[in-house]
Amino acid sequence: MISVTPKNLSEHNVKLDLNNLSPEQVALEIKNLDLYYGNKQALQNISMSIPKGQVTAFIGPSGCGKSTLLRCINRMNDLVDTCKIEGQINLHGENIYDRHTDVAALRRKVGMVFQRPNPFPKSIYENVVYGLRITGENNRRVLDEAVENALRSAALWNEVKDRLHESALGLSGGQQQRLVIARAIAIKPEVLLLDEPTSALDPISTLTIEELINDLKKQFTVVIVTHNMQQAARVSDQTAFMYMGDLIEYSDTNTLFTTPLKKKTEDYITGRYG
Amino acid sequence: MNNWFKSGSPWVWLSAGGVSISLISVIGLLWLIASRGLSYFWPADIYQFEMTDEQGRNTTVIGEIYDRENIPTSQLVHLNLDLDTSVESIERLLIKTGNRELVSLDFRWILVPQINQQSLPKDLVLIERRTNGNFYGYIENIILDGRTVGLEKMSELVERVSEFQAEMEELQKVDIGAINYQIERTRLKERKHKLDETLTPELQLEFKNTVASLRADYEVLEHALMGLREKISRDQIVMRAMDGQKVTINFENILKINFNNQLTLFGKIKLFFSQIGSFISDDPREANTEGGVFPAIFGTVLMVLLMTVIVSPLGVVAAIYLHEYAGNNALTKLLRIAVINLAGVPSIVYGVFGLGFFVYMVGGSLDQLFYAETLPSPTFGTPGVMWSAITLAILTLPVVIVSTEEGLSRIPSAMRHGSLALGATKAETLWRIILPIASPAIMTGIILAIARAAGEVAPLMLVGVVKMAPNLPLDGNFPFLHLDRKFMHLGFHIYDVGFQSPNVEAARPLVYATALLLVSIIVALNMTAVSIRNRLREKYRMLEH
Repeated sequence: MISVTPKNLSEHNVKLDLNNLSPEQVALEIKNLDLYYGNKQALQNISMSIPKGQVTAFIGPSGCGKSTLLRCINRMNDLVDTCKIEGQINLHGENIYDRHTDVAALRRKVGMVFQRPNPFPKSIYENVVYGLRITGENNRRVLDEAVENALRSAALWNEVKDRLHESALGLSGGQQQRLVIARAIAIKPEVLLLDEPTSALDPISTLTIEELINDLKKQFTVVIVTHNMQQAARVSDQTAFMYMGDLIEYSDTNTLFTTPLKKKTEDYITGRYG
Repeated sequence: MNNWFKSGSPWVWLSAGGVSISLISVIGLLWLIASRGLSYFWPADIYQFEMTDEQGRNTTVIGEIYDRENIPTSQLVHLNLDLDTSVESIERLLIKTGNRELVSLDFRWILVPQINQQSLPKDLVLIERRTNGNFYGYIENIILDGRTVGLEKMSELVERVSEFQAEMEELQKVDIGAINYQIERTRLKERKHKLDETLTPELQLEFKNTVASLRADYEVLEHALMGLREKISRDQIVMRAMDGQKVTINFENILKINFNNQLTLFGKIKLFFSQIGSFISDDPREANTEGGVFPAIFGTVLMVLLMTVIVSPLGVVAAIYLHEYAGNNALTKLLRIAVINLAGVPSIVYGVFGLGFFVYMVGGSLDQLFYAETLPSPTFGTPGVMWSAITLAILTLPVVIVSTEEGLSRIPSAMRHGSLALGATKAETLWRIILPIASPAIMTGIILAIARAAGEVAPLMLVGVVKMAPNLPLDGNFPFLHLDRKFMHLGFHIYDVGFQSPNVEAARPLVYATALLLVSIIVALNMTAVSIRNRLREKYRMLEH
C-alpha cells in the first residue's frame, strides 16, 4: 500500500456536500455526458458538479477518459472530427454545448494548460498578451500591467522580468509551463483546466507548479487531470476517480483517499492496478 | 570481402561518389561558362601576320587570335599547297580581323605554315564602333573641326565625343521620348472622346493646341539634336587597314579607342572591368551581337519579381485552404494530386495556355473594355511582361502550394491547440501563429519558384519576350510601370545571340558571358530569398521536444 498523506487531512477544510451544492457554489455542472469517438464510447453518462474556487482532480488509469472529460469542458474535443457528444455541461446555468454558444468566448472563460509546455515562438511578453491581443486590446499600459500581474500570479515574474522581450523558447521546461499558465490566466478565465501539467517536468519544477496551483485556486476554479495520485492528494480539494469511461467515485480528497466507498477505487489507490 | 560488404563501407563510398560527381559537374559547369564568358572581356593582343598564300602573294593580316585548331593535312590537298606531306595535321588560327566595311566577314582562318612573320606592333589600334563592329589598323590622321591635328589630341577628342553622345542619348531617349509619349496620349484621349461621342469643338481645339505646343517643343529639341550631331560629325579619324586601304571613321561612330598592345597588366585589368561594366549597363547593338545586355537583365529581374508577387499570395492561400479548411476526403486528395501533377506539365504548354487564355481572351477583353481608343492596335491583347509574369506564376504555383502545405503539416498541433484554448478563432490562429511559423517553408517554396521561373524561356517566347524591346517596362513616363510592354530576357537572349544571330563566331563568347550573368542573377535572387528564410527560421525556431 502506498502511503498517501493528503495535505488537506491536517487542514480544517470546509467540507462540501458535493451532491447538494447551492447554485452559487457551483462553477460547472456536468449532466449525463456521453462521448463517442466514431462508434466507440469513451465517456458514459458522466454527471458531476465542480465547486467554485477549489481544485478538483480527475484521476484514473491511462485511457479512462479523464483527459477527454477535461477537454469537453472547453470544447477542445470539437477539433476531433469523429467526436460526438451528448448531454450537457452548464457554465452559469447555460449549456456550453448549445448551438448558439460562441466557442471562442467560452474558451476565454475556461482556460487550458496542456501536458507539454507549448509556448508560441514569440517573446515572453507576446506569449502572455496573446489572448488579450486576440480580444483587440492594444493599449500598451494595459498590456504591460496584465503581463506583470499574470507573471506574478504564475510565480515567474522574478525570473523573467529582465528579459520579457526575449524568445519564450529560451526558458526551461518548468518555466515554460509556468509561462503557459500565465498566458492562460492573463485573460482572467473563471475556470482553469490543467491537463497533466507536470508530467513532462522534473521534480523541482513539479513542486513549484503544485505550489502555484494552491495559489491559483484563490482566483480561479481549477480542474486538474493527473496520473500521479500523490499529486492529486497534495493539491486537490475534490477528487474524481474514473475507470473505463465511467465516473466511479467523486468526493472530497480526504474521503476518497482514506475511506473510498467503492472497491475499484480502493484497488486503484492502493496500487493493485493502474 | 563479405565482411567488407557488411561493414557498410561500399555504400559509404558509393554515396560519397555520388556527391563528388554532382559537385564536379556543378564546378565544371561554372568553370566552363566563367572562363569562356570572362575571356570575352579580356583585352586581347593584336597581331600582325606577314604571310604568303598559295598563289605566292604576300599579304598582311591584322587581328586578334580567336581560336586555334589542328586539321588533317589530307583535307588541304585540294588547295595545292606546298606542304610537307609527312606531317599529319596542320595548325590553323581563327583571326578576328574586323573591318566589316572592307571584307564581308570579320573572321578568317590562316594556316600556320603560311605565316612568315608575326609581330605585336605597339601602334596598332582597336576601335570599337557603334556600327560595323571593330576596326583594326593604324591611325593616319585625326581631323578636328575639319582641320588635321596631332595624335596627342586623341584622348581629349574621345572624351569630348562621348560627352556629346551622352547628351544626344539623353535628348533622344528621355526628352524627345517623353514628348512623343505625350503626343500619343493626347491623340488617344481625343479618340476616346470621339468614341464616347463627347468630343466638343472646344475640347478638339484644346487637344489641337496641346499637340501644337508639344510639337513646338519637339522642334526645339530636334534642332538641338541636329546641332550636336553636326558638331560631332566634323571630327573624324583616318585609319589605315591591313591591306593599306585608308578608311575615314566619324567620331560619332566611335565608342572606344584602345592601344591593346601598349597596355600594361594593370591597364588590361582596368579595361577588363570597364568592359564588364559596360556589358552589364549598356544596350545591345548590331542585332544583339555587340554591346551590353542591360535591358535583358532588367526584364528578367522585373518579370521574376512580378511573378513572385503574384505567385506567393496565391500559392499560400491555396495551400491554406487545402490543408486547413478542405475536408479530408477523396476530392481533396484528388485536388492535391492534380496540383502536384501540374508541376510536371511541360512549360511550353503553359506558354500556349498563357497566349490563348491570358493574352487573347483576357487581354483582348481588357482592351475592348478599357483601351478601346487604341484599337485596332492592342494594349494588353498582345504578349507583354504582365502576361509573362502571370503565366510563370501559374507554372510555379504547384511548387509554392506543395512547400507551404508541407510547412503547415510540420507545425505541432500543440501550437494550434494552445492558441485555440486562449479563445482565438481558427482564422486568428492561422494568421497569428501558424503562418509565421510556416513562413520559412513558404520562403522555400518561393525560392524554388524563383529558381524555376528565372530559368524558364520556352513559355516566355509566346507570352512576352522579344529579341529587341525599344523601351524598358519601367520609365519616367506616367504610369511609370508599363505592364503591357514586351521585354527582353537573358535566357532568350542566349538563344537569340547563340542561334539566331548573323555572326555566330562573334556571338559565341557572348553566349557564355550571358549565361554566366543569368546564373549569377538567379543565384543572387536565391541568396536574397535564402537569407530571408534563414532569418525567419531563426525567429520561429521550434524547440526540439
